[in-house]
Amino acid sequence: MEKELEKIEDQVRKSLADNLRKGFADRNFGDVLVVGGGISGIQAALDLGAAGFKVYLVEKAPSIGGHMAQLDKTFPTNDCSM
Amino acid sequence: MGRHPNIEVLTYTEVDSVEGEAGDFKVTLIKKPRYIIESKCTGCTTCVEYCPVKYPDQYNQEISDNKAVHVYFAQAIPLITYIDESCLYLKEKKCRICEAVCKNNAIDFNQKLEKVEVNVGAIILSSGLEPFDPKVKEEYRYGQFVNVVTSMDYERLLCATGPYQGEILRASDMKHPHKVAWLQCVGSRRVTPGENSYCSAVCCTYTQKQVILTKEHDAEAECTVFHNDIRSYGKDFERFYERAENLPGVRFFRSYVSIVKENPETQSVTIRYSTPDEGVKEEEFDMVVLSVGLNPPADVQGLANKFGIELNAHGFCKAIPSNPMETTRPGIFVSGAFQGPTDIPESVFTASAAGSQCGELLDYRRGELSKERIYPPERDVSQEEPRIGVFVCHCGANIGRIVGVPSTVEYALTLPNVVYAQEQLFSCATNSAQQISDLTKEKGLNRVVIAACSPRTLEPLFRDTLREAGINQYYLDMANIREHCSWVHAKEKEEATQKAKDIIRMSVARVCRLKPLQEFDLPVNKTALVVGGGIAGMTCALSIAKQGHEVYLVEKDADLGGTARRIHSTLDGMDVQAYLRDLVRKIYQHPLIHVYTDATIPEATGYVGNFVTKVKSDRGVTEIKHGAAVIAIGADEYKPTEYLYGKDDRVMTNLELEEQIAQGEERVMNAQSLVMIQCVGCRNEDRNYCARICCSNSVKNALKLKEINPRMDITILFRDMRTYGFSEDYYREASNKDVKFIRYEPQDKPQVEAVEEEGRRILRVTVTDYILGKKLAIDADLLSLAAAVIPSAGNKEMSLLFKVSLGPDDWFKEAHVKLRPVEFGTDGVYLCGIAHYPKHIPEAINQAYGAAGRVLTLLSHDTVTASGSVCEVDEDKCISCGACITVCTYGAIEFYDTPQGRKATVNPVLCKGDGLCNSVCPTAAISLKHFADEELLSQIDAAVGDF
Amino acid sequence: METVAPYKEIIDAIKASGGDAFKRCFQCGLCDVVCPWNRVRAFSMRKLIREATFGLTDIESEEMWRCTTCGRCPQQCPRDVQQIESGVSLRRIATEYGVFPASVKPIRTISGSLVGEGNPLNEERKKRADWADGLSVKAFTEGMEILYFPCCYLCYDPRLKKVARATANILNMAGVDFGILGAKENCCGESIRKTGDEDVFKRLAKENIKTFIDHGVKKILVSSPHCYHTFKNEYPEFMVNFEVVHISQYLFQLIHEGRLELNNEYGKKVTWHDPCYLGRHNGIYDEPREVLKRVPGLALIEMPESRVDSLCCGGGGGRIWMETPKGERFSDLRLEQAVGVGAEVLVTSCPYCITNFEDSRLNRENSEAIEIKDITEIIGEVI
Ligand SMILES: Cc1cc2nc3c(=O)[nH]c(=O)nc-3n(C[C@H](O)[C@H](O)[C@H](O)COP(=O)(O)OP(=O)(O)OC[C@H]3O[C@@H](n4cnc5c(N)ncnc54)[C@H](O)[C@@H]3O)c2cc1C
Ligand code: SF4
Ligand code: SF4
Ligand code: SF4
Ligand code: SF4
Repeated sequence: MEKELEKIEDQVRKSLADNLRKGFADRNFGDVLVVGGGISGIQAALDLGAAGFKVYLVEKAPSIGGHMAQLDKTFPTNDCSM
Repeated sequence: MGRHPNIEVLTYTEVDSVEGEAGDFKVTLIKKPRYIIESKCTGCTTCVEYCPVKYPDQYNQEISDNKAVHVYFAQAIPLITYIDESCLYLKEKKCRICEAVCKNNAIDFNQKLEKVEVNVGAIILSSGLEPFDPKVKEEYRYGQFVNVVTSMDYERLLCATGPYQGEILRASDMKHPHKVAWLQCVGSRRVTPGENSYCSAVCCTYTQKQVILTKEHDAEAECTVFHNDIRSYGKDFERFYERAENLPGVRFFRSYVSIVKENPETQSVTIRYSTPDEGVKEEEFDMVVLSVGLNPPADVQGLANKFGIELNAHGFCKAIPSNPMETTRPGIFVSGAFQGPTDIPESVFTASAAGSQCGELLDYRRGELSKERIYPPERDVSQEEPRIGVFVCHCGANIGRIVGVPSTVEYALTLPNVVYAQEQLFSCATNSAQQISDLTKEKGLNRVVIAACSPRTLEPLFRDTLREAGINQYYLDMANIREHCSWVHAKEKEEATQKAKDIIRMSVARVCRLKPLQEFDLPVNKTALVVGGGIAGMTCALSIAKQGHEVYLVEKDADLGGTARRIHSTLDGMDVQAYLRDLVRKIYQHPLIHVYTDATIPEATGYVGNFVTKVKSDRGVTEIKHGAAVIAIGADEYKPTEYLYGKDDRVMTNLELEEQIAQGEERVMNAQSLVMIQCVGCRNEDRNYCARICCSNSVKNALKLKEINPRMDITILFRDMRTYGFSEDYYREASNKDVKFIRYEPQDKPQVEAVEEEGRRILRVTVTDYILGKKLAIDADLLSLAAAVIPSAGNKEMSLLFKVSLGPDDWFKEAHVKLRPVEFGTDGVYLCGIAHYPKHIPEAINQAYGAAGRVLTLLSHDTVTASGSVCEVDEDKCISCGACITVCTYGAIEFYDTPQGRKATVNPVLCKGDGLCNSVCPTAAISLKHFADEELLSQIDAAVGDF
Repeated sequence: METVAPYKEIIDAIKASGGDAFKRCFQCGLCDVVCPWNRVRAFSMRKLIREATFGLTDIESEEMWRCTTCGRCPQQCPRDVQQIESGVSLRRIATEYGVFPASVKPIRTISGSLVGEGNPLNEERKKRADWADGLSVKAFTEGMEILYFPCCYLCYDPRLKKVARATANILNMAGVDFGILGAKENCCGESIRKTGDEDVFKRLAKENIKTFIDHGVKKILVSSPHCYHTFKNEYPEFMVNFEVVHISQYLFQLIHEGRLELNNEYGKKVTWHDPCYLGRHNGIYDEPREVLKRVPGLALIEMPESRVDSLCCGGGGGRIWMETPKGERFSDLRLEQAVGVGAEVLVTSCPYCITNFEDSRLNRENSEAIEIKDITEIIGEVI
């Protein structure tokens, strides 16, 4: 009986720790930090995200987009920047 | 982006410090307070309406005003507000109106600076650029004359979300400028204090873009571009230049200018420019645009200190030519314009490239922290009556300025089965998309029509939006009321609104008939095939292999190395042969790379994730199964027919000259006088492109020769010196070393004749110098031609084998110049090196890593999803004529035997859904799902029905 | 179209005489655009440069003599072609061969006068201090605070003597311990050097330096920006460094230190002309303006082309000695600019500018409309 209890407690503790670690990992552990959210930073983040990495994308402005977001259309195809 | 499970976006955040080393960095971030609770703000902008503070909007280059609380710009990600320093409460502790009006309680003035620590294995610096500030030089009159604006200001003026909703207006009188001048090289190519000596590489082409757009806004506009060289060195740039130049009322004029005065009444601006034959002229313009160059990012030194990296002399990231993504600190990589002035395509593939290098470094932990996207289960609505939601997008002002959006919404509500309709400023913005999924759930919608732009770019986004709402993604139709309506009917607002209604009605009719289609997952073979063993192919192969994938490298020659075997140095001093030797060694040593030389590819079949390619070499025919293919088959050198090439052995190509220099060939070493002629074999009718590398290469060879023999007279005859980027410094250095540069015009090409004078055999090169107004006769011992780089003879064959397309000049055509620059429209096939377009070795290396990065986004998954919109055959109708098989460019259809005889069958994975087969089938046995006849007919009926 | 071949010997000769920077030109045309000549007639610095690059310079042509060394184009040139120094190299060759086009011929007499009498005006050396007659101006002796070096024009020219006298008065008023060297000094040599006569320049400079050193001169006050420029930037080539101060700077200092009080009203609208050698060449823009702003009642207005954009009077680079036909004089344009902004007085602080402006004024229909003054003349009136 006691053994059972211990086992359960152990399991609970383990899953708690697991969860904790996961929570922590979620919040503070990543693979790559991309600095700058312009077109290049966004592309890097998307590629890495798609290739199985967790990415932080840090942008100092209130929005990502960088200078390209300020452009109307872009050469040489003159399509929309966004 | 905003919804990607593996990307956490931290905006309004700066890096404070970086500790640790590659594989284990600890980075402290400072999150600035937005004073907005991100999770609560819906971006409704009620607060913005009420905020009493008005101040110049940075996003709009301070041309228009914004509020203290505002959304950074209409398509911002995240699309929520923030409060900046101009806020009255933050400054003087009064107001707080926004707090009172926000219904979501999203405003929180108690937010403080927040320090966040994150642990990462690698860092990519994509910190970009800062436009040159013309205020550093009084002569530009920026900030002094109101109608002198920067090109960045002008972008905002052109833009629908700009200060005047896409109207180009003069701040002085709110009138449309009619005569506009662009001044090139502002802040660039100048050794004057405060300016940059390098060429900013993008301003020539963005100016042409602005000219074209100005003419679209106002067909009568007169546009003049003042420049010293037009640098259209990129893929398709030369055509773009021509397009701009050939517009009526557009002038390109060779002269730098000075801004003289402002007309006190009209505020128009007078500039002065120089002509070779008519002296200095003065002309008044309604508006003058300064084509400002690119500076390194603001406070770049602080950035460098924080990250512990070194900068180059110009303040950009110091990079080594053989790996331009690497910084001086291991584990920290660089991409985009922080490498040096670059355009968007290059910023995109260097991003993929830096990604690939992170992948090499962190391959051991790939997949450990990442998550897959989870969608809600799909609701079966096939038995329900259609309940359609219509969302009409303003696209800023792109649509809204022309089309009466509110009335189209009203109209939509009157259409059968439409249960809901509303307008949106930007349907593609994250919150709008969210709104679409939310409303779909809330209103029980089972079909969605989005009246916005072309489905080409955004259809995937909206399909995803439907998936989020638990609806089959093929229950979507996009009504294109931008390209098909507002953009082409800018002058006829009423008719445009009527047409928009028609288009929406057609969409609504079609969406009722749409069928839910299933996409399916295909397994991915984790092996890659790289065709072409040049620098690009090898670099790409190695990067893929370093990330744990097997690579087959196929080279048609006996040796690896390609063109680079004939190149000895680059302008920035890279020892190409040493690099090449090292690369070849690494290729052969890598256990996952299998090299086939003297090899050809007789057959390639299969599809993304599952290709089967036959390679014929001295080992016989090998069948290779692979998930991805990279085409890196390089390019050829043009064999000139002009300027006595092939008739006189003193005439050679640049590449031949380079080899002879490397070999120490006596006649080269001892030459007294050498002439180079640029643009041989391109920038003409036959090949309407600039080969990009030859200007810098001539400068490189000239400098090399001057180093060996400073007394040698070297003259370079050019049309435009296209030493873009940092190469401009070498152009200047060559002038400094007495290399003479003479410009010629294409209609008056240099003349070359072999003559003998006083017993000396010489090549006499005669060329008109426009400044002198005379012809110069130069006696040369040797003549070197900057022969164009031309597409490889093998391109056609390769394009057929891998079902990929070629562009107008026969270069391989990427899927999208800016968004997908290193892959083909054909899934699973990638592209790098000069097979794409001529480029320098460091650029080819950039791109090769970029292709590797993209390949990894495929190979790192076990499965890949194929489209549901493919063709199917109604076997009862099929008469086995084979017409469809002949016409299909993707080889997606074949016969198989049935008890009823041979019938066509479609391989859904190969089918790209272009529907060519549909039109040739005599019995209409083959049809394209999602574009089935009844779906289209209903649309057509709706179009004509009403009349 | 004529066909010519590059002339290597001439390229080398130009290089040897200091025209090495020509090779850097990439023909952007900016020098032509900013050059004041193109306001009055066609003149292409760019073409001159192009010809020199290929050794095709026409040594007899007038073109190489045009540049007034105003300093506009070298300041703007994106390739640092140093048009002034490079241009002078061509004049050196012409001087060496003694080929002068008609309008440049006076230079010969002038260099004779410089060598003989130490001034370009063919005046007697011994009369150099006559301007100070009747004023209590001492001869410079070792230990004095300042040597006042007035420039040849201020010593001999009747109009400019007034400026020298005004200056001496101000200095006395402020109690400055100064002296002059009179007949012992020579022309500073700035302008003759720009005509390509390196020998005469060196001779004048060396003699001056010797005199300065012999007399223990440490600090030199000058009235002419040309003296200022050469003392400050060119005499150091001879390994000497005197402290040099221009009168406009010195006035500012005296007022600032409270040694000069400006008491009287000067109720006129005044505009300041930046002399090329004070402004563009030496960056002195603010001091003279500050001085004028402190004059009670004076309204300072700016001409559209001021500071770095100041329009040259046409007198630099030895042009002061050459004949410039009517209709081609920059000073005429400048005077109209001054009148145009409503100035009653055009004030500056350079003997060449004043000479040219006075000339233009006299040739003007309504010569009463505007006065030409040196800054010291205004200050002299208000202390
Ligand atoms: C005339 C010329 C001069 C140049 N000078 C310079 C310079 O001075 N500096 C500089 O930076 N860059 C220079 N370049 C550019 C430089 O060559 C490229 O940037 C770089 O070599 C590109 O590498 P790549 O792998 O794309 O092409 P390549 O080196 O051409 O490699 C392509 C390889 O693919 C192989 N291949 C082709 N078809 C097939 C097939 N069907 N199957 C298998 N293999 C195939 C080719 O044999 C070759 O080995 C020059 C290019 C040219 C053409
Ligand atoms: S030459 Fe270079 S710096 Fe000048 S405008 Fe063109 S791209 Fe910009
Ligand atoms: S030589 Fe080459 S790089 Fe230069 S302009 Fe001509 S094609 Fe372009
Ligand atoms: S400004 Fe300089 S580079 Fe331009 S044409 Fe004149 S000398 Fe040549
Ligand atoms: S220095 Fe002045 S006068 Fe001489 S060429 Fe240049 S702009 Fe003209």
